[in-house]
Amino acid sequence: MSIATRPPEQAVPPRFRPSGIAVGVAITLGLIIVHWYAAVQTNTSPKELIEGWRGLWNFLFGLDKTFPNGKTIHQDGAFPLDLRWSETIRPGLEYCLLTIWIGLLGTTLSIPAALLFAIISSRTTNRFVPLWLAGRAVMSVLRAIPETVYALMFIAAVGFGAFPGVIALAIHNVAVMGKLWSESMDEVDQGPVEALRVAGASPVQTAAHAVLPAVMPSLLGLLLYRFDTNVRSSVILGTVGAGGIGFFIKTEVDSFHFDTMMTYVCMVIVLIIVIDLFSAWLRRKVGAV
Amino acid sequence: MRADHLSAAATLRVDGLRKAFGEKTVLDGLTFDVSSGEVVSLLGANGSGKSTSLRCVVGLERPDAGTIVVDGVTGKPGEAMPTVAMVFQKIHLVPRRSVLDNVCAGALGRLGLSRSWSVLAFPRELQEEAMACLDRVGLADRAREKAGRLSGGQQQRVAVARALCQRAKVLLADEPVSALDPAASEQVMNLLRSLADDDGLAVAAVLHQPDLARRFSDRILGLAGGSLVFDSPAAEVDDDTVAGLYRPALEALEAAEAARTKEFA
Ligand SMILES: Nc1ncnc2c1ncn2[C@@H]1O[C@H](COP(=O)(O)OP(=O)(O)O)[C@@H](O)[C@H]1O
Ligand SMILES: [Mg+2]
Repeated sequence: MSIATRPPEQAVPPRFRPSGIAVGVAITLGLIIVHWYAAVQTNTSPKELIEGWRGLWNFLFGLDKTFPNGKTIHQDGAFPLDLRWSETIRPGLEYCLLTIWIGLLGTTLSIPAALLFAIISSRTTNRFVPLWLAGRAVMSVLRAIPETVYALMFIAAVGFGAFPGVIALAIHNVAVMGKLWSESMDEVDQGPVEALRVAGASPVQTAAHAVLPAVMPSLLGLLLYRFDTNVRSSVILGTVGAGGIGFFIKTEVDSFHFDTMMTYVCMVIVLIIVIDLFSAWLRRKVGAV
Repeated sequence: MRADHLSAAATLRVDGLRKAFGEKTVLDGLTFDVSSGEVVSLLGANGSGKSTSLRCVVGLERPDAGTIVVDGVTGKPGEAMPTVAMVFQKIHLVPRRSVLDNVCAGALGRLGLSRSWSVLAFPRELQEEAMACLDRVGLADRAREKAGRLSGGQQQRVAVARALCQRAKVLLADEPVSALDPAASEQVMNLLRSLADDDGLAVAAVLHQPDLARRFSDRILGLAGGSLVFDSPAAEVDDDTVAGLYRPALEALEAAEAARTKEFA
């Protein structure tokens, strides 16, 4: 019976059309050309890699230099690590802590401005288009400048140290977190927002009583994620002179103490993993995944 | 349909409401009124414009034409009126906030920012008024619980309390019981009826169950294609009249079904 009512078989339309195949080939060729050109411009080649290998080996495991007068000295490499407690490890731990404090303050100080930008840049909380556009434009500009560039500017203004790092992170983070927050406000359930609008609530009131309570866990989650990222960034900012462990990695490289430097690098690895685990754990605690 | 049948005492008068989304005309000169102490139900097939008409009245949509008058005050198109409150099928409480805070939010329209920037700033008198509203819907004992922990029927009653805290004279309800089980539906409908009878509210509710409409309302409005098809005392609306509202939609469905079977023939 089921066979009797089965509809007649139909021809299956082809999966790929000829025009589709032509476009696919063109895109693939284009990508190959672009990458080839990029490799030429950057001197990326297997030859460079093999020649660089010797230098990397010396960097890692040291180098015996023989002077014309017959004397030979050993230039230390990165391994074995420099494990002296009071000269290297204890100060390293302090530098790591400083890096955390820079990331923490850079994140926390950006909260008020990020919240303001998020509220004026979300459709849910601000339906006045000129202000909405202005908020998004300002954030785009602030975001386009990398943290390192901010750090260099503030170092030029106030000198080396942790403080320019804090300011650089805070400004960049206002724009990044403001955008992330406004996007999560955009996605909020519009129902309660409409319900309060019917009750005559102003945009600020709807933000405070419908949007923020609904998005609070995701805002917290994004905040913790940004803290995690900002601690990483603060390591990089250190290498241009804005304090923390990064600053000392740079100093040790400049004075050819590769073993001390590598100890600090290992500490950075541990630091980043610990902060990452901590932030993930706290995100789960606040229910933000 | 002109407004000749509108009674002088009407609390809510909607006259000649028009609304189009792009090419599509959704409201085509809709005219109706609701008086104080009266419950009016709106029936109509999906897409007949029931929700859009209520959303125009509360300012969530801006009508292209028509007037909305509440208690002699003409509303501005696309703006909320303090005297009109609305409850929704999906209820739309803030689930993480307490029941009491949700009810207080109904008063936001008359609070300055200094007394409403946070729930901590809500004045004591407001909280007492909100407790009275909660008591009115029978949920005063749940005030400090998170709204999201209540059952659907209880949440809908909290939403009604929020409307009361707004001090509205007109309560619009868009499918207030469509997501509720029969017992909870009964409770919510009884509440709406009692708000009209005892508190003199003008209540207009979109319903999908003709039986509920007949039992709980004074008048039934039939909508099709964005305008009124009938406006009759609830007792006079028989099953045929109601079925007529859904017939065009049903015929369209049947036509589509017929077309599909013909393909295989
Ligand atoms: N914001 C909107 N944009 C475009 N079309 C809409 C919008 N809101 C409603 N509509 C359309 O208007 C018609 C009526 O919708 P609605 O008022 O929700 O009907 P009902 O509540 O009677 O089912 C539907 O066809 C719907 O698709
Ligand atoms: Mg609807």
